[in-house]
Amino acid sequence: MLLRNQTFVSGPLAFIGEEAGYVPSMRERFLGWNVPPEYSDLVHPHWRGFMAPGKYWHIGLALIYSMLLAMSCVGNCCVIWIFSTSKSLRTASNMFIVSLAIFDIIMALEIPMFIVSSFVERMIGWEIGCDIYAVLGSVSGMGQAITNAAIAFDRYRTISCPIDGRLNSKQAAVIIAITWFWVTPFTVLPLLKVWGRFTTEGFLTTCSFDFLTDDQDTKVFVMCIFIWSYVIPLTFIVYFYSQLLKSIRNHEKMLREQAKKMNVKSLVSNQDKERSVELRIAKVAFTIFFLFLLAWTPYATVAIIGAFGNREVLTPVATMLPALFAKSVSCIDPWIYAINHPRYRQELQKRCKWMGIHEPETIHDSASAQTEKIKSDEA
Amino acid sequence: MFPLLFLAFVVAIKVFKKTTPNGKVTVYLGKRDFIDHLDSIDPIDGIIVVENDYLQGRKVYGQVTTTFRYGREEDEVMGVKFSKELVLCREQIVPIKKEKQDMTPVQERLLKRLGANAYPFLFQFPQSSPSSVTLQPGDDDQGKPLGVEYTVRIYVGEHEEDKGHKRSSVALAIKKLQYAPPTRGRKLPSSLVSKGFTFSQGKLNLEVTLDREIYYHGEKVAANVIVTNNSRKAVKNIKLFVVQHCEVTMVNTQFSRHVASLETREGCPITPGASFTKQFYLVPLASSNKDRRGIALDGHLKDDDVNLASSTLVADGKTPSDAMGIVISYSIRVKLNCGTLGGELVTDVPFKLMHPAPGAVEKEKATLKKNKSIERARYENSCYSNDDDDNIVFEDFARLRLNEPE
Repeated sequence: MLLRNQTFVSGPLAFIGEEAGYVPSMRERFLGWNVPPEYSDLVHPHWRGFMAPGKYWHIGLALIYSMLLAMSCVGNCCVIWIFSTSKSLRTASNMFIVSLAIFDIIMALEIPMFIVSSFVERMIGWEIGCDIYAVLGSVSGMGQAITNAAIAFDRYRTISCPIDGRLNSKQAAVIIAITWFWVTPFTVLPLLKVWGRFTTEGFLTTCSFDFLTDDQDTKVFVMCIFIWSYVIPLTFIVYFYSQLLKSIRNHEKMLREQAKKMNVKSLVSNQDKERSVELRIAKVAFTIFFLFLLAWTPYATVAIIGAFGNREVLTPVATMLPALFAKSVSCIDPWIYAINHPRYRQELQKRCKWMGIHEPETIHDSASAQTEKIKSDEA
Repeated sequence: MFPLLFLAFVVAIKVFKKTTPNGKVTVYLGKRDFIDHLDSIDPIDGIIVVENDYLQGRKVYGQVTTTFRYGREEDEVMGVKFSKELVLCREQIVPIKKEKQDMTPVQERLLKRLGANAYPFLFQFPQSSPSSVTLQPGDDDQGKPLGVEYTVRIYVGEHEEDKGHKRSSVALAIKKLQYAPPTRGRKLPSSLVSKGFTFSQGKLNLEVTLDREIYYHGEKVAANVIVTNNSRKAVKNIKLFVVQHCEVTMVNTQFSRHVASLETREGCPITPGASFTKQFYLVPLASSNKDRRGIALDGHLKDDDVNLASSTLVADGKTPSDAMGIVISYSIRVKLNCGTLGGELVTDVPFKLMHPAPGAVEKEKATLKKNKSIERARYENSCYSNDDDDNIVFEDFARLRLNEPE
């Protein structure tokens, strides 16, 4: 709430101050005051119309980001460590989860840079720093998006044809290689300034691709990156999860029909519970879809508004928030995909007793097949 | 003296027993394999013995469930379960609900022997219930194998929905199987195909005929292959496979596995104008397919006598598409290789692979030893009606089964 108030107040204030001929004190400066002329390219004129945010903004963000850094490191390092060292977890499907964790870690690498930048209230390393920061962000951001789509595809294959559909490790490796190819064009082109470029944004302490320059090239670039890194992965996710739900519904229907043919009155799980299988899967699928929206819609909106819409609404605070969303989701990722993985929890419990996870051991020769005994191993 | 004893031993009925972990309730089953005769299925008949004063107002229930497992446990993501359990029937056994109950001879004998605390139970398989099939897991597979299984579960509870306690319940894995009809038909399956080639005249003809329609497990499958080459290409080699087709109706998928194969260059190249005739023999066996993922078997892996899954038979008036669970069929596939440019000529000849019906083998081979035939016939109702009570051999059910109760 406080953030939002600030958003609305700081925008107009900037303009009022300007129009009234109000002379800012030393503490109230315009954004970009500390950028020397030789680096003035890094600051788009748009930002110079806003007041520099107070120190508390920088320090507040730095604090939030350091918490995210800690969470992301613990979560993702655990995932990489356990998934790659435990033999029973080294399956093709889990390669995608490890790949996602690697992208998340790359995103977390940005955070130390950001924290230092926040304290000096400018991008450290100027152009080079900006490029490094933006490359990390672009590789990890687009990588996460497309890896989410790959996970959706893998799950769709596994669930729709449970007997022979699942990807083998070679296919999985090919798909992971494709995710890396996927991130290259929109990372390398702006880095070499062939098409688009990386520049500072918001409080001028973060860097991303330029969506404010008012020329055709930039506008087309923004449109392309929007489709490439947002629309296409989102379409894949929606398509595969809806197909997955469809095949689950088919399986359930087929089974009910067979039970009917056998004159079986009571399925162990009665009709309500059968429904809930579909419902539960739908919930998981929707959570993943929703997290994707949460992570990338703010960024996409800001970029599209910057290129095509009314820029006046793009205050520094409003442009800082999307990055925060994206990074928060990359911290949640390992928890969604891995912590809910029952075998992973077992392994984690074995190795890190201090975490206090109490995952019941699955007993293989028990009749764990009963539908009614479904555990909460969602996602 | 000795032959008499021997005979008495053979005639003795073997009964499988299993006791609950707390030792209070014991289940006796006359057999573990129940045969689907298409027009009827063997009922599941057994006896329960409850210890004196154990129940104290509680009741003993029995239920038969079938479990379809159509995906590996470790692939279960997002909370999906690749297995479904259907309760086929559930009944109260103690106290007896019905006044007078029809009993099978085994039950009558056991009841006489086990005394006052014994209670009979009888479950029927529903018509058109699928046969037991296990898909062999691969090396890296953990968890339960895929397939169709049946379990008889006996538990003590206050009422029917009461799931009962682990200590007072017992589960017995049973199999439902199909046997070949008593006579193997005289029809000889055969297939005739030909192949033309682009840019050249003439055809390559292939005729494959099997010497039987139904084979018993372990028998040689003889395929008579006749190649007549009227084309201008030469046949480089001949390949034969026994293909096991497996249709998983629960998820509407099917797949095939080669369970026996043979490659030969005998008579090759079969040059233009030449012809070739030869009988080839293949033996499809479970033992030659160990550790291959997805091979369908008739029973559990730990059984010594495991064999390839039998072909699924459907009752008259039903189509194979009405069959449920995992539907198995077999064919001989013959491939003629005409080189890289010529391509291949392939044909499939279907056949059935089954267990002989009890007595069928004896009819065919009168030379078979007598004790075997008695053993085969021991389930026929009449043979032990006037036997001495002591001829019951109890065997622990659990010893051969991997399914422990919960």
